[in-house]
Amino acid sequence: MKNRLEELRKARGLRQEELAEALEVSRQTIGSLENGRYNPSILLAFKLSRYFGVPIEEIFIYEEEAT
Amino acid sequence: MKGRKTLYLALVILGLCLVIAALILREADIPDSAGGALMGSGSGLAAMGLAQLLTLRAERKDPVQARKKEIEVHDERNVAIRRRAKALSGDALQWAILAVAWVSIGFGAPLWMTLAAVVVFVLKSMLEVCLVVRYQREM
Repeated sequence: MKNRLEELRKARGLRQEELAEALEVSRQTIGSLENGRYNPSILLAFKLSRYFGVPIEEIFIYEEEAT
Repeated sequence: MKGRKTLYLALVILGLCLVIAALILREADIPDSAGGALMGSGSGLAAMGLAQLLTLRAERKDPVQARKKEIEVHDERNVAIRRRAKALSGDALQWAILAVAWVSIGFGAPLWMTLAAVVVFVLKSMLEVCLVVRYQREM
């Protein structure tokens, strides 16, 4: 699943550490989310959505896998 | 915090009491295994309690670092990683135990050794099924 996390974070001039602290997760989690290596729980997705003030669908882009 | 400190202090005291009991009873006519068990469990408890007390002290001295550590421990990705690692290592261990059972047959080891390995394998499998049923009800 792709996401716009890095773009949103940088647009607000935040470092990964600052975002991680605000969301009470580790910096590595933010890094993994941005790289697309880790998909967040629905709770973390809502936290991110509320933090950036945008709907979840605008942060995470779900793409059907090609069959 | 205070409750935890009391608990760890109690562990240290209990551990030391067991170590002292082991030393005193060494003179008495008790089996070596009992003395060893007392000494081992006593020193283990005391060391664990002491380590936890030192950790509490470090957390009190540096709350920022303590908060960071707490976040690291409860971080959802770290929790998922730990759970996956535990599950995979548990699976590997289960099959390794079955391999031990087969190897023990091949080497003509005592029957109890083979049976013990098989029993552990079966118990682990049963526990796994019980947990699957439990989690299916919960989720």
